[in-house]
Amino acid sequence: MSEQVHNRLAMVRAERKVSRQSLAEAVGAHYQTIGYIERGQYNPSLDLALKIAKHFELPVEALFSLEPFRPLTDEVYGRKQP
Amino acid sequence: MTTTRMTGYDRSMLKLMNDPAGRPLYATAARRRVVVAVHVALTVAMEALVAYIYLANAEPLWAIIATAVLLLPWMVATGVINGATRGLLELRERALDERQSAERRRVLAVSHRAMTLLLASAVAGLLIVGGIGGDALRAYVAPVLIAVLVTHWLMPLWVAGRMAQDEPVEDEALAG
Repeated sequence: MSEQVHNRLAMVRAERKVSRQSLAEAVGAHYQTIGYIERGQYNPSLDLALKIAKHFELPVEALFSLEPFRPLTDEVYGRKQP
Repeated sequence: MTTTRMTGYDRSMLKLMNDPAGRPLYATAARRRVVVAVHVALTVAMEALVAYIYLANAEPLWAIIATAVLLLPWMVATGVINGATRGLLELRERALDERQSAERRRVLAVSHRAMTLLLASAVAGLLIVGGIGGDALRAYVAPVLIAVLVTHWLMPLWVAGRMAQDEPVEDEALAG
């Protein structure tokens, strides 16, 4: 019984030029765990999700969502969802 | 992973279990399957040799030497599986993060179910053998118990090795 939690972690991490290893060390997780979260193979606990959001100084909903994220270009340029 | 409470031993074990040196040996699911299969085969071979040594009337020196020879590749295979799981079963709980702790509990639950079936088979087998021949039960009970004990000890390692996943690919520019 596990719902898919969508995330933008890989995108934000690449944008901020943060490696999995350094993010993992910052939030007290294993670097593989960060990779599995990005691949959607592991849903982080609220505690870990909040730590990751705090590390990037973003609200947790900017990184994790129960609904699929819209492409960033659509959000920036305001294209309507189909 | 609560790094503040980790001891020097925890940190050295964590480093050892995450050593990238052996990664080519367990990089793919197929390779991990082969390593686990080899480990199972070596364990069964050594258990058979120990049973033979126990049941033989004389002291079979060749069987003792063969067991000692098999022990070396068995230890290497054990190390490879531990590397593949990043020390899931070897590290202390405080050296694991939340995903690894959950993974360890899942591995132990699967192993427990598998061992229940194996123990039931061993008991049934011994009872059947005991029903057929009077002395056979007494002769076989010790080797079977040893084999079951060793299997009970190693089952989590085999399950963890089979359940290990591929390494998530890191962007080369960030891997630094």
